[in-house]
Amino acid sequence: MTTELALGAVLAAAVALVTGFTTTRADAPATVYAAASLTDVFPKVSPALRFQLAGSNQLALQIARGAPADVFASASPVYTQGLFRDGLVEKPRTFATNSLVLAVPRSNPAKIRSVFDLAKRPKLKLVVAGQRVPIGLYTREVLKRLALLKVLRKAVSQEPDVKGIVGKLALGEADAGFVYATDVRAASSRLLAIPLPRRSQPTVRYEVAVVKGSKNWEAGLEFVADLLSTDGRRELKQAGFGLP
Amino acid sequence: MDTLELTVDHPLRSFRLSVAEELGRETLALVGPSGAGKSSVLRAIAGLLRPERGRIALGSHVWLDTEAGIDLAPERRSVGLVFQEYALFPHLDVRRNVAFGGRERVDELLERFRISHLAQARPAGLSGGERQRVALARAVARDPAVLLLDEPLSALDAHTRNVVRGELAELLAELRLPTLLVTHDFDDAAALADRVGVIVDGRILQLGPAAELLAAPADAFVASFTGANLLHGTARPGAGGLTEVVLDGGGSMYSADGGEGRVGLAVYPWEVSLARAESLDSAVNHVRGEVRSVVVLGNRVRVRVGPLTAEITTGSAERLELREGDSVVASFKATASRLVPLG
Amino acid sequence: MRSPFGVALALATALTISFLLLPILAIFLDIPPGRLLDGMNDPAAVDALIVTLKTTLIANLVILLIGTPAAYLIGSRSFRTRSLLVTAIELPLVLPPAVAGIGLLAAFGRNGLLGGTLDVLGLSIPFTQLAVVLAIMFVASPFYLRAAVSAFESVDPALTGAARTLGAGPARTFFRVALPLASGGLGAGWALSFARGIGEFGATIMFAGSLQGVTQTLSLAVYEQFDVDFDVALAIGAELVAVSAFLLLAVKLVPSWTRSNSQSTTLFAPFGSR
Repeated sequence: MTTELALGAVLAAAVALVTGFTTTRADAPATVYAAASLTDVFPKVSPALRFQLAGSNQLALQIARGAPADVFASASPVYTQGLFRDGLVEKPRTFATNSLVLAVPRSNPAKIRSVFDLAKRPKLKLVVAGQRVPIGLYTREVLKRLALLKVLRKAVSQEPDVKGIVGKLALGEADAGFVYATDVRAASSRLLAIPLPRRSQPTVRYEVAVVKGSKNWEAGLEFVADLLSTDGRRELKQAGFGLP
Repeated sequence: MDTLELTVDHPLRSFRLSVAEELGRETLALVGPSGAGKSSVLRAIAGLLRPERGRIALGSHVWLDTEAGIDLAPERRSVGLVFQEYALFPHLDVRRNVAFGGRERVDELLERFRISHLAQARPAGLSGGERQRVALARAVARDPAVLLLDEPLSALDAHTRNVVRGELAELLAELRLPTLLVTHDFDDAAALADRVGVIVDGRILQLGPAAELLAAPADAFVASFTGANLLHGTARPGAGGLTEVVLDGGGSMYSADGGEGRVGLAVYPWEVSLARAESLDSAVNHVRGEVRSVVVLGNRVRVRVGPLTAEITTGSAERLELREGDSVVASFKATASRLVPLG
Repeated sequence: MRSPFGVALALATALTISFLLLPILAIFLDIPPGRLLDGMNDPAAVDALIVTLKTTLIANLVILLIGTPAAYLIGSRSFRTRSLLVTAIELPLVLPPAVAGIGLLAAFGRNGLLGGTLDVLGLSIPFTQLAVVLAIMFVASPFYLRAAVSAFESVDPALTGAARTLGAGPARTFFRVALPLASGGLGAGWALSFARGIGEFGATIMFAGSLQGVTQTLSLAVYEQFDVDFDVALAIGAELVAVSAFLLLAVKLVPSWTRSNSQSTTLFAPFGSR
């Protein structure tokens, strides 16, 4: 009799433990998959959340394959819209804009003064992002508009996200790279921004969407609300993002 | 042929190794308990150990002179070293092992050591005696000027040992090289060497032909090491010009040797006779005791009676019908016992 | 009549093996073989394979040629010195790959410690294939060195001592006694080092960047292709598995071929005197 009681108790405890791990709790923190350029500002908007930061293309792919994200924030509408079309996320909303700059290390070893100098330097160490990464997409748009696509041949590396470019510039290993204005602001002590001609600026629109059927979608909704609130917008503005 | 001059002074674990000897065309055995420093002497001669101070020279070839800063690498010293566990190269066959030292005389050596039929075999598949022959052949292949043997018989079982001991004695006689042999067994040393040195805690206590060590051991250690019974007691002059030794364990014995104070009374097992009853004989010392053990060693038997070990023929033991627990009398002459200083 | 314990053991084994094999098999079975082969012919895949083979082979050759004598020396030192040296060569193991990359930049980068010297010599290392080779060497060699030191350590000193008394100098002793006897352990260590090198990502992308045909190895290419063309990603994954499997087999076979020359009964058995 007592053995059965004991077994029953153990079983009940095991069930409680397992369900404890898998039950949704209203106050569980949301998991936000966000573009790398949001690395510094997102934790300021909502410190207690879990962030997964990478190239938006990578994140979209992971979500499509069932990654446990509650919210997806992309640096390009291409990825949020794609997931929306596939029925994986709720309707995306624009929450910020950004602009591209040509960044160089503070010491400016290649003496770059304008984007056109890129074509004039024979031995240039240019770092760009892969063509599927948002910053990579935008970079190619800029170069196309300026008829400078041939400059891509000088690229010594195709990084998987914008922070890789920032890193190499900050360490002084690369001569120049295309990053977001917000990235230079965040690393202002080590980077110098060379502004791009206005006509070449692409529309850089950041969209956020709640992932359908995610575990903590309530917390996800809360985060989106925070992002779009006055406080959230102020943080974004302070970081250098444009507001829609 | 040159003489090997050897002076080694080197700190070991708990004592200082200090040896100074000369070696001609002879076999010198260093005997002693394990850890006495014997192997270290061999390693120093071979160049595998650099003593703190020392000089090792073969005639005019100086191999080591710490004062002059000379220390020749092992490969430049003409030595043949046979390791305790033989150290045969496991990844080479017998032929290649022997050829490692010198390629010219391989076939001749394989013949001479009777291992030609094993030329293609690997060391792992050989018996102890075979391995020893390979190790010897390999060491000799180099045509060394000095032969060093580290416990050449201890890796062998008792039966093989006797056979190999004989063969080794023949080989050493044939080679006539300055040979230094290290062993913990006095009988092996006696059988193989011209001179035997007893080494304890890094020092040579006595050096000389084996018979001399037996006949006149320098101290208690040498006596017991060479296989003598050693009884502790206090000596004082006794009747008839003999010395009486009052034993620690009770009773008295008599010796023709002189001595006073604390002594060890040494008597060799083969000088102790056994009888069922005390008889009127010339032996002065009689001890009645219980047979504690009977150990057969071929045609001889070692019998432990009370504090003494006696060695008698197997035939005699059968004649007396000796069994454990029997009460017997062990006797030996006063002239057969020696007194040695203790400690 | 199987005991319940025996059944439990069998079950545990079956679970472990299937768990480990499943993702590997899935790489080959997820898409039809035709598409897998097409993926392998994709220029990105082909370029990545070439870059990986070149850099991994060069890196591992250097690791073998320089690491082996170094391990021999370290393995012959006293216990204290040896422990210290082994700890030093194990340090890269505790570094996260990205940190290793930063370290390499800090040493060999343009603004690094040796940057000035390299510049004078006309050498620029970051973003080159040489950088990939160096990154692989940095993260993979500790695996080889550690195993090699252990392998040399376990060679019975009586054997090397015997070789010396038989007239072999230090070099001949190394080549004819120590090396053959340690070869089992060396091979196993090298397989580990090779595997680590092939999977290298973090330090490479930090130090060498990623450029198709120049510095993009199979590992870096998988990451990029993951999003561009999943078929190609699977194909590259399959190539990685195939290369590694081929290598593991080769390493297992070589010792059994030297086994006929040595007495080692297993890949890892140390040598005691007999």
